[in-house]
Amino acid sequence: MKRDVFMMSGGRLKRKDNTLYFVNEEGLSRPLPIEQTDNIHIFGQVDMNSSMLHLLSSHGVQLHLYNYYGFYDGSFVPRKKQVSGFTVVQQSSHVWDNEKRMYIARQFIQSAVHHMQRNIRKYGAEEEVSSYIGTLSAHAALLDEARSIPQLMGIEGQCRQVYYGSFNCMLKGGWKWEYRSKRPPHDPINAMISFGNSIMYTAVLSEIYKTVLDPTISFLHESSSKRYSLCLDIAEIFKPLITDSIIFNLINNRRIQEKHFDQEDGLVYLSDEGRKRFLAAFDEKMKSTFKHRQLKRNVSYRYLIRLEAYKLIKHMIGDTVYKPFKAWW
Amino acid sequence: MSIRGIEMHYFAMCHRKLWLFNRGIGFELEHDRVIEGLVLHDQAYSRLTKEVSLDEFTTIDTIDGDIVREVKISSRMEHADRLQMLYYLYLLRQRGIEKKGLLSYPKEKKTVGIELDAEGEQEIEQAIKSIDSLLSGKVPNLRKKTYCKKCAYFDYCFVGEEEDAV
Amino acid sequence: MFVIITYDVGEKRVGKVCKKLREYLDWTQNSVFEGEITKGKLTRCLAELKKLTTDDDSIYIYKVENPKAIEKIVYGKDRSFEQLFF
Repeated sequence: MKRDVFMMSGGRLKRKDNTLYFVNEEGLSRPLPIEQTDNIHIFGQVDMNSSMLHLLSSHGVQLHLYNYYGFYDGSFVPRKKQVSGFTVVQQSSHVWDNEKRMYIARQFIQSAVHHMQRNIRKYGAEEEVSSYIGTLSAHAALLDEARSIPQLMGIEGQCRQVYYGSFNCMLKGGWKWEYRSKRPPHDPINAMISFGNSIMYTAVLSEIYKTVLDPTISFLHESSSKRYSLCLDIAEIFKPLITDSIIFNLINNRRIQEKHFDQEDGLVYLSDEGRKRFLAAFDEKMKSTFKHRQLKRNVSYRYLIRLEAYKLIKHMIGDTVYKPFKAWW
Repeated sequence: MSIRGIEMHYFAMCHRKLWLFNRGIGFELEHDRVIEGLVLHDQAYSRLTKEVSLDEFTTIDTIDGDIVREVKISSRMEHADRLQMLYYLYLLRQRGIEKKGLLSYPKEKKTVGIELDAEGEQEIEQAIKSIDSLLSGKVPNLRKKTYCKKCAYFDYCFVGEEEDAV
Repeated sequence: MFVIITYDVGEKRVGKVCKKLREYLDWTQNSVFEGEITKGKLTRCLAELKKLTTDDDSIYIYKVENPKAIEKIVYGKDRSFEQLFF
């Protein structure tokens, strides 16, 4: 119900009494209903002050910054309202104990692979589908034998290789997959994957922050002080489910084309119009709903991320064993 | 261990909710019904009332100095509301203060007077013991009740995955 | 749910009411706001409005439980304020 807004142009975010306004470069001021705002994403050059940030804080609104190329730069995250020292201790104990850590990390990869296979089944050219799915299953079968996180990461890497290899049978309209390049992305598809990852990361952060989970304590990725690494863990599940399927839809329906990318010194990134198209599709997907089997009501993809966090809490506190989400349709 | 009034309420309603809430795993913040309850509380207490702090966790609202009042949206959980009220009266009695309780359900135009008798006192002492032992144990299993659907904890309690769909 | 709120209040209070509604809903036209809102938030919004107004003022609330059930037709300029991009 609450919404995300994207500041694409320059201007000023300001507070007047208890109302939030965005004033654009022409001086036109538009109110933003603060009670209905979940996240503010800033792509343009926006001025702001502490009184505005206090307002965001009192309403639990997060603010995410992206640089010129659309890569994630950082967030303003209000003081957490929901804290449970008990849960944080339990969460940590699931990292200290290697068996416990491996269990959770393995679930993330299994779900990721499930969703990769689902994409191949959905978008892939018929004659190649079964071979890719078979290869992925063969790799994933080794997950149970892995004894360390680096081994798990290795298997995950192999799965991803196979998955990326299958892109050519999923992409229409003359798009060719070459290889994955992150810093910098060397072609439009890589640019979209990187952009999608940034957006997914903030979406997961936003949902985890509404729970008692500590976003810095992670299982598959190493916990480090610099990043909310638990978001990276959980994003593994949702990247193929949400962002990748958006990429395939945008490309295959010709809603994003070569002209929606810019290039600078070998770095390829989405243009302003390209970003808008991607973000609009992302926002639509996150708001769309499906009937949840246990809750027996419609839930949005965004809320699905929160539910994943709830299941992790249940697991940590010895309530019910964690099983990752696997889209069943 | 000091028990909050709301915890006494949860104890009468759902042990699992009490356990989770006690460990800081709460879901009240964003829940619609809870927000409604808070608004109702604010409206009902704007006049006539004075907040009294019993300890760092518990504040009660009094009217005219000698009646403790608690406003609720609906009387569906009257037994829990009653226990919570008895507990407030009990805490006051321990401090040498004698008061009467009044539950009020403005939406239903209904009020219920409550007095702490010997039986009630015993009930509270029993409840305190049970809460202490309950909270020192594992998280209580999920038991489906008719009012689960309206609870802020519903999504947490009921979310899960069916056995591996292939 | 989806709500449309219209108001006709004393001149002195117009600004206050408008500002309060801006916290919760999208401004549609003069003295008209609309948008999706949860029941709890609507209750809170209305409680706050009540504090700002007198008995002579009037505020109308039109509620639609299922937001999808509403069809909005716009003639002339569509000031669609529920937007994603700024």
